[in-house]
Amino acid sequence: MDCPTCEAMVDAYVDGELTAIESAAFEQALELCPGCRRRLADARAVSDALRALPAEPAPDLLRARIERELRAIAGRPTQRIRWSAMAASLIVAIGIGWLGGSLLGHGTRETDELIAGYIRVAMSDHGVEVASSDRHTVKPWFAGRIDYAPPVHDLTAEGFPLLGGRVDLVDGRKVAVLVYRRNQHRLALTLWPSSSSGNAAPSLAQRDGFALADWRHGGFEMHAVADLAPSEMKSFAAAVDQAIDADR
Amino acid sequence: MSDAPKPDGVTVERFRVVVLPHLDAAYGFARWLTRDPVAAQDLAQEAMLRALRYFHAFRGDDARPWLLRIVRNTWSDFRTRNGTAGQTLDEIENRPADGPDPEQSAIAGDRQRQIAAALAALPAEAREVLVLREIEDLSYKRIAAVLDLPIGTVMSRLARAREKLAAELGGRLGRRGDGLPDL
Repeated sequence: MDCPTCEAMVDAYVDGELTAIESAAFEQALELCPGCRRRLADARAVSDALRALPAEPAPDLLRARIERELRAIAGRPTQRIRWSAMAASLIVAIGIGWLGGSLLGHGTRETDELIAGYIRVAMSDHGVEVASSDRHTVKPWFAGRIDYAPPVHDLTAEGFPLLGGRVDLVDGRKVAVLVYRRNQHRLALTLWPSSSSGNAAPSLAQRDGFALADWRHGGFEMHAVADLAPSEMKSFAAAVDQAIDADR
Repeated sequence: MSDAPKPDGVTVERFRVVVLPHLDAAYGFARWLTRDPVAAQDLAQEAMLRALRYFHAFRGDDARPWLLRIVRNTWSDFRTRNGTAGQTLDEIENRPADGPDPEQSAIAGDRQRQIAAALAALPAEAREVLVLREIEDLSYKRIAAVLDLPIGTVMSRLARAREKLAAELGGRLGRRGDGLPDL
């Protein structure tokens, strides 16, 4: 066997794609060719290295999003299903919320709780308790449900339309959660009055495809979570701050 | 697709059993194609919904390569839509090369991080064939089906891709004598 043939067989040999006879011929030829032996060693090293990489399973939120689509399709009467409606439901996507877990300090356990909460609510069909893009509907809805008045703004012009709000418990206290949309993604902003003064710039973190942001602005502690890129989360925080400043 | 049978509850149940178990594979492939955890989720979701739409035509016994082919085609469509299909090698090489979240995933050692980064830095044509072979463990025949290429082309692309990755790793990890350091 001449060397070009030998070389052409290196990868097929590593991959077990040669017949027994071809393999035997290759092994014989290999003894005569140091270049091919090195090539074989390299190919094996690359193969072993890649096979040793840990697999990254599909994130729970992705699973939840797909489950929700499947439930929606399975639940519809057959004749009524329209694929345009399906495409629309992709855009409507998931409802979200907040099941507690303080973001303060970004401890791993808190972040776990936070993301677990986000996913649990993403799987339900009740992302918001008050669905409206009108701040004059959403803001008064919180009165009587929580003991403070959160600043509410529709950020459609900045690319984050307001979808509505809900109340959740964080550390035993009822807090306001505002839900925004960014393309087909949902964004939850939980906010409560701050006990510290002054503003603090957003601290961004990324985890399992979620972007998390904590900051303080206009006397409120802000905690946002979404399945967005960190750069988009940054734009969101800036849009919130700007809207609050414009109110003054 | 207008005259395709509309998926009903029975179809969805069958889809759950036959295709949904391969979601991890679809996401993993999407992760390496897009090199971005958020874009990978969008791609895997869109591919899953397309797979359901085409499910009536699925006649195989192994849904995984079939699904991976849909992931790959969906990705091609995304790139065409975003005008990135004609990206030059330089642009690809200059992208920050991140494998699956270096900080957060189970990738522990520096060596594994380097390997993931080297794979992520390869051009798409080399990356996809390596992922299908080494991570998805598909045979040449199945890879040929996923990429819609002749088997001979799969073989030569795979050989070139391994060579490229060996060179990349040699540069990153330092060559020791002949061949690669123990990886």
